[in-house]
Amino acid sequence: MIRCIVNNQYVESELHPATASIDFIREELKLKGTKEGCKEGECGACTVLVGELGESGNVEYRACASCLLPLGEINNKHLVTVEGVNFEKLNSVQSAIIENNASQCGFCTPGIVLALTGYCLSSDDFSYEDAINALDGNICRCTGYASIKKAAVAIAALFNNKACNKESRIELLIESGILPEYFLKISDKLKEINKNIKKDSHKDSECTYIAGGTDLLVQKPEALLSENVCFLSDRKEFNEIKLDEDVLSIGGGVTTEQLRKSPLFNKYFPSTSEDLLLISSNIMRNKATAAGNIVNASPIGDLTIIFLALDASLVIENSNSPRTVKLSEFYKGYKTYDLKKGELIKKIIIPLPGKNTYFNFEKVSNRKYLDIASCNSAVKVELNDNKVNSIVISAGGVAPVPYLLRKTSEYLSDKKITGEIIRAAGNIVASEVTPIDDIRGTAKYKKLLLKQLFYSHFIKLFPEHVKFEEVSK
Amino acid sequence: MKNIDMKMHVQGKSQYVDDLPAREGLLHSVIFGSPVAKGKIIKVDISKAELAEGVVKVLTYKDIPGKNQIGHIIQDQPLLAENSVKFIGQPVALVVAKTRSQAFNALKLIELDLEEEKPIVDPREAYSKNEIFGSPMEMTLGNTESAWGKCENIIEGRVESAGQEHFYFETQSALAEPIEGGNIKVSCSAQAPAGYQHHVSDVLGIPMHKVEIEIRRLGGGFGGKEGCAVWACLPSVASYVLDKPVKLVLSRHEDITTSGKRHPYSSDYKIGFDKNGKILAYEVTMYQNGGAFSDISLPVLGRSILHTVNSYKIPNFNGKAISCRTNITPNTAFRGFGVPQAVFLMESAIYNSAFKMGVNPASIQKANLLDEGDQLPYKMRVEYCNSKRCWNTLDEKYNIDSRIEAVKEYNKINSETKKGIYVTPICFGISFVQTALNQAGSLVHIYTDGSVGVSTGAVEMGQGVNMKILLVAAKTLSINPDRVKVEPTNSTRIANASPTSASTGADLNGMATFKACNVLFERLTKYAAEHLNVEDVETVKIKDEVIYVDGRKTEYSWKQLIKDAYWSRVDLSCHEFYAPPQLYWNAEKMEGQPYTYHSYGTSITEVTLDCIRGTYEIDSIEVVHDIGQSISEDIDLGQFEGGIIQGLGWSTMENLVYAENGRCMSVTNAYKMPDIKYIPKKLTIDFLENVKNPYAVCNSKAVGEPPFIHGIGAYFALMDAARAARQDNKEPIFDLPMTPEKAFMYIYE
Repeated sequence: MIRCIVNNQYVESELHPATASIDFIREELKLKGTKEGCKEGECGACTVLVGELGESGNVEYRACASCLLPLGEINNKHLVTVEGVNFEKLNSVQSAIIENNASQCGFCTPGIVLALTGYCLSSDDFSYEDAINALDGNICRCTGYASIKKAAVAIAALFNNKACNKESRIELLIESGILPEYFLKISDKLKEINKNIKKDSHKDSECTYIAGGTDLLVQKPEALLSENVCFLSDRKEFNEIKLDEDVLSIGGGVTTEQLRKSPLFNKYFPSTSEDLLLISSNIMRNKATAAGNIVNASPIGDLTIIFLALDASLVIENSNSPRTVKLSEFYKGYKTYDLKKGELIKKIIIPLPGKNTYFNFEKVSNRKYLDIASCNSAVKVELNDNKVNSIVISAGGVAPVPYLLRKTSEYLSDKKITGEIIRAAGNIVASEVTPIDDIRGTAKYKKLLLKQLFYSHFIKLFPEHVKFEEVSK
Repeated sequence: MKNIDMKMHVQGKSQYVDDLPAREGLLHSVIFGSPVAKGKIIKVDISKAELAEGVVKVLTYKDIPGKNQIGHIIQDQPLLAENSVKFIGQPVALVVAKTRSQAFNALKLIELDLEEEKPIVDPREAYSKNEIFGSPMEMTLGNTESAWGKCENIIEGRVESAGQEHFYFETQSALAEPIEGGNIKVSCSAQAPAGYQHHVSDVLGIPMHKVEIEIRRLGGGFGGKEGCAVWACLPSVASYVLDKPVKLVLSRHEDITTSGKRHPYSSDYKIGFDKNGKILAYEVTMYQNGGAFSDISLPVLGRSILHTVNSYKIPNFNGKAISCRTNITPNTAFRGFGVPQAVFLMESAIYNSAFKMGVNPASIQKANLLDEGDQLPYKMRVEYCNSKRCWNTLDEKYNIDSRIEAVKEYNKINSETKKGIYVTPICFGISFVQTALNQAGSLVHIYTDGSVGVSTGAVEMGQGVNMKILLVAAKTLSINPDRVKVEPTNSTRIANASPTSASTGADLNGMATFKACNVLFERLTKYAAEHLNVEDVETVKIKDEVIYVDGRKTEYSWKQLIKDAYWSRVDLSCHEFYAPPQLYWNAEKMEGQPYTYHSYGTSITEVTLDCIRGTYEIDSIEVVHDIGQSISEDIDLGQFEGGIIQGLGWSTMENLVYAENGRCMSVTNAYKMPDIKYIPKKLTIDFLENVKNPYAVCNSKAVGEPPFIHGIGAYFALMDAARAARQDNKEPIFDLPMTPEKAFMYIYE
């Protein structure tokens, strides 16, 4: 049975835990403010907030697409729909939308209200950039966004010179007319519900594991409803990013947004905080997990391509003793990989970069944000005395599996990085990949594009040595 | 005053079809569509599906009580397929079950025995096999044949433009409910109340007065809910047959893969210039990809051919246009209604000519802009023509030449990125070309407490037509807008309403409302004079809810006036009708006065192309446009911003692809439209000042479709940047949209 608080009310449900929350919200609770726009996480019309108890006892909220949010994921949590932020008068987010004419047909509007409320709850410093990032998964077909941007400016301005700490965030938002007062009591209510939870052992070998659910609920929503499912998000060991001696350990259940904001990950790979914005949208990043990206096994998975270049290994949990497998050896063919039923990717282990290690990620898709890449690539290169000591280059969308450019790496090893060398290496890149024609682009395009992305790695990392004019000749 | 609809939108209280409270016994329906693009049906076996859990009935064409026909202009489209299927997703059966998921589950149990045939996807191939709708259209002005000899430069070429998915947020949906006495009420997401009513009555075999269509609002329409009534007719048939309320709501996947879209066009042109760069002659042939059924492809094509010359004066013109029957989704209306394709063709011809003649496209455009009294190829002469004024105002504000120079300078010193720039002039005719459709009724009730209800045939789909009508009513009656409510569109209140399309919603329905309110206003003024014993009615005025006599404010209020009028048996309701008188159209000769007026604008678009990756950013779009005297600048600005970005999407990233087997490959996760981070860093819109338009309500001008055209400039700006990225003088390409892939391949192939 699912128990949760929906808006200001304690609710129980007998629905299957893999049911999409939007169906629970609209059909069982009859809360029709949450709209179904696509049921694939592509549009944001169904955005809701999910609040859970943080370590300090505060409730921490994330905006999520309710169409890809399995009901089991809101068990013992606080679910907020647009009805839950309505009070007698308009709240300040709603007023800002009206004041700036940021709603036309209105179908996407409740999702935008909640995405912006999610921004108010989770932004560290109420920056305008955070507000726009919070809206990167909310498509509007009517307004052309100019008015929505103005509304975002107005909302960010509400917090000028106000203290930003997270501890008193709820109070601040109530004071600012954004949240109703009942939010103050949610923390205690959740503590009450959480008191009596019995943690499942999660060792059922027959169960289907769901981490974020953002992929499974698109791939097989109906089939899941007849399966025995287990959730991983409350297992702490799956959700941590930490330093394990000389490696970085990323829990399989770590979300993309968690990784993007992780001080630890950013310390070692500073460019990734921007790179990871290219992955999906805020409402998806808040749920989509690292291990999920790996087991989706898409040849074009963005996180997988990054991990591959970072020389990652996977620690796999099973009923016996955990085993470790190199990510580069994990994939066996298109969408097939070395993981048995009942096994789980517990952690992703990444060797720490040395002083002379450089990393870069490139992605080109039809739309820059919230789109599947035509081609992506990452590189990790370690220099020694200006020569390539070691290099790993990954490439997505050019083979049946996330691919390593081994021949190119071999060629570059021990060489000095110059425009001429890189240009020559580019020809090897094209020779070792086998892309196919599909909706993301023709094979010819992907081959040429990968070569260009390969060049951009070096133009970006070593602008002194590699110039665009030189490699593009 | 802000659009009052937004208040419910932000609170999630606005109801769309799928939000309507369920009546007892509500059933859900799901379409079983053809898995192939062309084939003969040998057998449809529904027996297993009918036994599935929760399934109440599976309907096939045999269950349709009336005509199995929903063809709009040509009677060529069955509601449910009988002997053949012509596109993937064409409805073959309708599963009705207690829940939606039960209906979905039963789809797998339907067995369809088919003899598959080879489909046609390309319109030129269809034309070569004489697969066309109606007959080819032709329009002529002057004589191109004799003009070619006088031309200094003649340029020919071919132009392709892809379709576009509407992606209205509310998918196609309808709820049909039986009403006593064999009547039916259909609440649907539709732009054409009377059209849908007519089709439902046809398929049920009952008179139109037994069918009530109610349309509260649409979660977006953009033309996609105008021509094809299939999604309202199917649940209506099920409801009528089963005597139960039945709902049909398409999933996004069903909607995106099986509903009609903007027409792809493939066209040829030939254009000739004199030695001063004046266009002397222009010939085009347009092949429209109409899809499997005619829908409203022919009117779309008509509007294309009428707009082939865009905003230019061309003395000798010949245009041919053919609507081709293929095996993709039956294409339909989409904001612009054939104009975007025609303008893209014209601008391609200009861009290519400029390329060949070694001049800047802007110099050609400027030399050929329309002027007051100039004749368009359909013989109409333009009035209140602001084509040049828009260009000049834009030029004064942004200095077009210096902007073009600055881009050249930038490109000289930068190699990793290149800029491109393009000016886009627009002339967009307003009215339905089909003269009869230019009619509207408005029913205004004043209730005894002084509040007002207005009913029109206009459909609110986010474009703010209801708010404009509300403002017209409040202004005309001189009362506070709070007293006015605009009712949902309902066929029992306003009969035979034209579709809300062709940007005419506010023009026609606003004017009818103005007329109805005016009748009431005069009636009440007269009554007030009687009541106050004032002999000369002329001295009595109702202003801001107070009655004035001889310019002096009295104690007599609107509320009291209405109460007294009621007790004195004054009719407080009025229905009025508006049909712009000056319109006429000779479809055979393709000439007449098809439009009440034209909408003019000019914009300048600048882009930056990343030459390493082929990706790009839209730096700025700056617009000057004539919108007359706006009824609501808030609403009009919103229409502009939204329209421009939708046009920008069509010309750049919206990549609608069909496979050779007729399957729509642009599924939900592959069809991308502009998001919040894609829009131009600068989007500046200025409306011309001191303008008038005697041909529309309150001197306003229509704003629904014209802004879309400004988005097309991005294509040519990107083409410009891509050309700058190459050292050689590679021929430009004219194959919209300019996706990052195309830009990249242009540079690197």
